[in-house]
Amino acid sequence: MSDLDDFKATYFDECSELLLELEEQFAAIEGGDRSNDRLNAVFRAIHSIKGGGGAFGFSDLVAFAHAYETLLDKVRGGEIPLTDDVAALCIHSNDVVADLVNAARTGVPLPPEYGADEKARFDALCSGDDDGGEPIEEFDIDFVPVMVNFDDVSEADEESADEEMVEAEADSDAGSDEPAVDRSGQWEVRFRPHSELYARANDPLLLFRELASLGQMTVTAVFDEVPPLSDFEPFGVYCEWQMTLVSPTLTEAAIREVFEFVDGNCDLEVVDLGSIGKRPPSRPAAKAAATEAADDGEPLPSFADLADTVKASTPPKQAFIPIRAEPMTVKPAVVGDAAAAAPAASEGEHRNGVQSIRVDLDKVDRVVNMVGELVITQSMLTQQMDDNLRARYQELVRGLEVLAQTTRGLQDSVMAIRAQPVKSVFSRMPRLVRELAQKTNKKIRLETIGENTEIDKTVIEQLSDPLTHMIRNSADHGIETPEKRAAAGKSETGVIRLSAEQAGGNILIIVEDDGAGINRDKVLQVARNRGVIGPDQQLTDEQIDQLIFAPGFSTADAVSDISGRGVGMDVVLSNIKKIGGSVHVRSWTGRGTRMTLRLPLTLAVLDVMLVRVSHNPYVIPLSSIVETMQTARAAFERVPSGGRVLQVRGEYVQVIDLCERFEMPSSVDEKNRFVVLCEAEGSVKIALVVDDIIGQQQVVIKSLEENFESIEGIAGGTILGDGNVALIVDVQGLKTGTLHRNAA
Amino acid sequence: MRVLTVDDSRTILAMLHHTLSSAGFEVLQADDGQKGLDVLAKERVDVVITDINMPVMDGIEFIKHVRATGAYNSLPILILTTETSQDKRDQGRAAGGTGWIVKPFDPEKLISVIHRVVH
Repeated sequence: MSDLDDFKATYFDECSELLLELEEQFAAIEGGDRSNDRLNAVFRAIHSIKGGGGAFGFSDLVAFAHAYETLLDKVRGGEIPLTDDVAALCIHSNDVVADLVNAARTGVPLPPEYGADEKARFDALCSGDDDGGEPIEEFDIDFVPVMVNFDDVSEADEESADEEMVEAEADSDAGSDEPAVDRSGQWEVRFRPHSELYARANDPLLLFRELASLGQMTVTAVFDEVPPLSDFEPFGVYCEWQMTLVSPTLTEAAIREVFEFVDGNCDLEVVDLGSIGKRPPSRPAAKAAATEAADDGEPLPSFADLADTVKASTPPKQAFIPIRAEPMTVKPAVVGDAAAAAPAASEGEHRNGVQSIRVDLDKVDRVVNMVGELVITQSMLTQQMDDNLRARYQELVRGLEVLAQTTRGLQDSVMAIRAQPVKSVFSRMPRLVRELAQKTNKKIRLETIGENTEIDKTVIEQLSDPLTHMIRNSADHGIETPEKRAAAGKSETGVIRLSAEQAGGNILIIVEDDGAGINRDKVLQVARNRGVIGPDQQLTDEQIDQLIFAPGFSTADAVSDISGRGVGMDVVLSNIKKIGGSVHVRSWTGRGTRMTLRLPLTLAVLDVMLVRVSHNPYVIPLSSIVETMQTARAAFERVPSGGRVLQVRGEYVQVIDLCERFEMPSSVDEKNRFVVLCEAEGSVKIALVVDDIIGQQQVVIKSLEENFESIEGIAGGTILGDGNVALIVDVQGLKTGTLHRNAA
Repeated sequence: MRVLTVDDSRTILAMLHHTLSSAGFEVLQADDGQKGLDVLAKERVDVVITDINMPVMDGIEFIKHVRATGAYNSLPILILTTETSQDKRDQGRAAGGTGWIVKPFDPEKLISVIHRVVH
């Protein structure tokens, strides 16, 4: 059944999220945060896994989750202290739950006793006083259409409805002196609601309806205690009911079950007339408003009439109002009817008021793309406005300004839809660090900061692998063994700090450790041996650090169980570059290493400067541009290698002529060209020489790799407002490309 | 007839939605008590089905808030519960819950329980 499969898919989806949440909570709990919020969240997660699992009959999972939940409940209730042992048991149990969920998903059974040890420990901890896992009995009510026999109720005329109410001394034929009649299968129910019953929106009429389904029923309203109108309390309860039910199979339990929801909110007497053989004192001798029979022939008021009578002065509880004679011919619980009864309910399920929706990412992306195009069209329109038009059509100009503003707002809103907190990635890391610490026999504490920072969903998805690798690297190569740390006068426990923050148009993800720092001599040696750099090439410390990301650097020495899984840090770099980010590493000998991932807030739209190289338009991401100047005013200097450098405020900056680099002839005089000073990673500047600067605008990034192939120095392409294609300059790529080129 | 379902489990929400909508109910959803209140502030509903254990605002608080609002005095509220202890139900009822539904629920029973508290 496909519906069920859908539900299952949703369930397993949800389980994955809940398991992640468990990881996260226990990481915090392990870190010393034993607040109730944490425990409650853990309890909720297990509870939800159990709840959903029950729906699909995953009995192993449910049984384990139930036992686990019982323990958690006692822990959060303070009955069982959350010792390290208990926490360890819980963490282990999370794995068991994960395995059970997985077994349920794949249908591959686990050994029959799987999780039995943990369960035994739960039981031992709970000292067996668990009140048993047996679920509450479910309702077993069938709304079989049962006709209530009202034949013997004469349809009533209205009595003079004074406060005396109805003088229906309708003590029926059942004369009290009548000798023992067989009354087996006859029940009398006396029901007196308390005001709480109404306060909880229970409705006597519904109870009658349900009772009527049990057998032939008559209902009598008893108005003994109705006060004079002047004393009427709006929320007072003055009415009680007396019912007789006839059915050969009826039991007291069945009758009481109808009142299950109102137990404690009413006085209820259930009397088996059959068992006592004679009729118990009938309803209070007093005035009854309606009776099942009126042999004196005096017409009695119907329920409807009664209701009308009472309505005037009773609390406006629905309960009183809809009592009519016919509805007592209880209908089956036909839902269609119910829907028809609410004409407002429209056919389709239009779900107003839904607070959040799950939308296919493709749909969001379509909107993102369209907004991107809109942004471009808008900037194109703005470009078309020359001074002449501006002077002539001021209203139009103003309109365009508003349009620009609205477009930007729209763009931000659309991007916000895709944004997610980095928490979803960060929360996987505590476990990783725990495992790493165990494997390496080191003491490592993970600190996370800024996990609510939001980034584009696509970026987040691409973040997990690089981050995992970086943390592995820190744990394996960065943090020293406790002995070494102690010898170096550091605390035995090493700290890896994982943080996220927004910085301008970028998100910075920083992985920092307080370990030994990068061993530069070794890195340099390896890099030389592997030909990553030339044998005589001199590098600054920073450049050496950066080498760990160089392709082909990954060292055999470094291959260990942990970080050397055949994947070097160069993969981290290329993954990050793929999503438009960059990585920078800094290290302090003996004090630690900091790796900074700089990621774009969004992948779709980029603020750029449009430049001309030869006859072609190129764009340079605005975020990397520091300043621009005319070549005529730039202080170039030649260096012995033949290259040029630019002196900017005492700093020498490498110059890359984009015409030369892309092998195209320059179209203008050297002195009329422009220098665009850019900042690559690690505050390394680079000066790009271009033929002209055209302007600033926003572009939608189109991937080149998807359609063509990856080109060094080019990050992608875009379509300009006039339909021309422009390539996006990859500043970082040019920089490192040049480095490798020189090295080669 | 409109039913507001409040549960932090997407699975349960989806199953409730399926069961209720195929029985002809119009279904509104919220994933915690606070969001449930937000829905009630805007929408008219005939019956509420709510979970107890939820983040932000749990079911008990939610029911208390609903009952504290004059307009919802007589709005039937069913508590969804897997609890095996009487405690939870009592707590729910003390807060103003009308009745309860035991998870996992059988579709037919779910509908019949709803009819136990609404017309």
